[in-house]
Amino acid sequence: MSANRWFATGNFYTTYRQEQRIFTTHLDRVLFGLFLFFLFVWPLFVSASNKHMLVINNILIAVVAVYGLNLVTGFAGLISIGHAAFVGIGAYTLAGTARAIGDSHVLITHAWPLMILISGFMGAAFGAFVGLPAMRLKHLYLAIATLSFQMIFSWTINFMTFFNQGQMIAVGRVFWISGQVGRNEHYLFWYYVILVTAVVCGLGVRNLLRTRYGRCLVAVRDNDRAADAMGMHPGLTKVYAFALAGFFAGIAGALHTYMFRGAGFESFTLHHSIIYLAMAIVGGLGTLPGSLFGPVAIQILELQMEHISEWAGTFLPATMNLATALRPLGFGLVIVLFLMFEPRGIANWWRICRSYFKLWPFRY
Amino acid sequence: MKGIRFRGCMVVLALGLALVLTPPAAAGETYKLGLSLAITGPTSDAGNPYSKGVEDYMRLVNDTGILGDAKVDCPIRDDMYETAVTKRNFEDFIDQGIVLFLSYATGGNLALAQDFDEVQIPVIPASFHKGIVDAAKYVFLPIASYSHQYVGLGEYVAKNHKGGDLPKVACFIHPSAFGRAPLEDFQAAIAAGLKMEIVEVVEHGKDLDNSALLQRLRSKGVQYVLCQTVQSPVVTLINDSQRLGLTAQSFGEEGKITFLGAHYTGGNDLIALAGSAAEGFYWTTSYRLTSEKGPWTAWQLDLAKKYGRDEKTANSHNYTNGIMAAQVAVEAIRRTREAGQEVTRAALYETLNQMNGDKAYQPLTTVGPVTYSATDRMGVDTLQLYVVKDGAFRAVGEPFKPEYLK
Repeated sequence: MSANRWFATGNFYTTYRQEQRIFTTHLDRVLFGLFLFFLFVWPLFVSASNKHMLVINNILIAVVAVYGLNLVTGFAGLISIGHAAFVGIGAYTLAGTARAIGDSHVLITHAWPLMILISGFMGAAFGAFVGLPAMRLKHLYLAIATLSFQMIFSWTINFMTFFNQGQMIAVGRVFWISGQVGRNEHYLFWYYVILVTAVVCGLGVRNLLRTRYGRCLVAVRDNDRAADAMGMHPGLTKVYAFALAGFFAGIAGALHTYMFRGAGFESFTLHHSIIYLAMAIVGGLGTLPGSLFGPVAIQILELQMEHISEWAGTFLPATMNLATALRPLGFGLVIVLFLMFEPRGIANWWRICRSYFKLWPFRY
Repeated sequence: MKGIRFRGCMVVLALGLALVLTPPAAAGETYKLGLSLAITGPTSDAGNPYSKGVEDYMRLVNDTGILGDAKVDCPIRDDMYETAVTKRNFEDFIDQGIVLFLSYATGGNLALAQDFDEVQIPVIPASFHKGIVDAAKYVFLPIASYSHQYVGLGEYVAKNHKGGDLPKVACFIHPSAFGRAPLEDFQAAIAAGLKMEIVEVVEHGKDLDNSALLQRLRSKGVQYVLCQTVQSPVVTLINDSQRLGLTAQSFGEEGKITFLGAHYTGGNDLIALAGSAAEGFYWTTSYRLTSEKGPWTAWQLDLAKKYGRDEKTANSHNYTNGIMAAQVAVEAIRRTREAGQEVTRAALYETLNQMNGDKAYQPLTTVGPVTYSATDRMGVDTLQLYVVKDGAFRAVGEPFKPEYLK
């Protein structure tokens, strides 16, 4: 370990414990603290519109969901293309409860942290169940198994009257210390709730990766036979990877339901599963910062393409529908180019940037 | 002394300029509206011409001064049929201070119903699901609901069925809130005395072949299939029926099947896609069609031509649909201004509520007047039945109102 804990140049670890530190230097810790401080205080100084708060909240919810997907696909190497269904399990745990006991029941409106947690555990239970085939299946075969879960979920929600056949199930407004959270403060309130959840979940994932359970995930991904020979249980590891993914997805689903004040099937389709996967890949599979960068990049890209299409629509001929086509074409093209030229995701840029400052003033 | 006089002159000049440059109240104002709909993605075949209808009529309003010196600004956003995007668009529009919201899908409207009531904004949707009105009191359906359309088709079947037996019908519906919307009312109408028997309710998938379904329906004695979905599944169904020789050559032909459908099943796209299989397809809507000549035909085609629309769009009933929604919105603004009121959400809500009796609004685009009141949230109450004859939809009889659904 470097003698200077503020500006360490290069890696000087002498123990594994040092290598597992969350923050390598004091500067890292301070910068992270400042970043968190900024995230918490900016709404006090900048008045963001509801639209922008909605977008930011959506990004943060996606961050929580992608933590889970990154654990199962990035760290454990198990492909999942049914992640939106797990998010849906969380959302419908809350929405189903609201439908059964009433959308303004005290459990929904006052005990909302508990409901979010219960939704997470429900997601974990389903995750573990869906993860059972992972004990025998790999790669594309496992992908098909998770796809099947997505289809079963779609059918169940769309056809069961209990789930309102996929139509919106409303949940009531929640209460906070100061009383009911009204429309004016709705998005700000949920910004703070989702932000705290995202930070706690992020620290949880970071800490998990420092434990033997976290290292098991990576070991099983790299070579499950070798991991087995080393005394790990690959099957159990895969199941709990899915359970963890389901937990984070369930939490994200409940947050989504509260923020949108209800759950409707349209938000948990196969298309959304693919979008989550795209977020994880663009952000950087198998990296914690990737879970943050991916949702930010994809959501902002989508929004920007929307603006560009709208702008293009002002001068492109209406008869050819060019402006309409611009959005999906541009969005798809950017993703493809990104995957071609930076397959390790945005997290790799972050790594390069950090390395530069870590080695500075030396070049390598 | 000279200085005082100079300053006095400057003050008078400034006051004069201020008087000249200050516009009179309510003159030269721009009223902001917003439309969020599926221009791409599912149901965009309907959303695309709908958006063009709204866009063209708004341009016409601004170009020809329908609101005098006032203008309307109606940004159109693609929500790709995703509720989350619809919500984002809605919040954006609210931030921009819109006075009326033009919405689209059943799911999106149901999801935003609480917001509509909280924000107290009048909404004109493209969906005709009766449940939206039950969920939010600020929603004004432009025409008769899906339930009314479906029951209306049922009534036509009951009245024109030949033979002493009960007509056997199958319901062919979209697997969504939109598709299921009229079923409950249809079943209630039958319970209330509408003489027919529902043999089967089919929620279609993405089937490319309906042979088995059609054979099954025929083996059960089904003579009429009532569709509440979009065009493409109906096209597959009637194409297969023609191939199997099951399509009735005349209404209610024994041993064959007659197909009927609500608003979003029909239109020129259906004929273009199904060709001769569309012959004899019965369809109901409250809109006038360009295939039926009248003063509205030239008006609509001129509008489309003026803004460079192709022939397909110009003749689309969903183009008419969009024009009509925009017409109602603009008419509400015009009447509010005429009454000397400030154009606000609350004022527009009141104006729309008073749109009845001698204040009913008669646009060229519909078969009946638009009427709203505190208890009536359905604009055009009458429906027109059309049938495909020689490759075009032709009116059957006069506009009607379903009797079993009030």
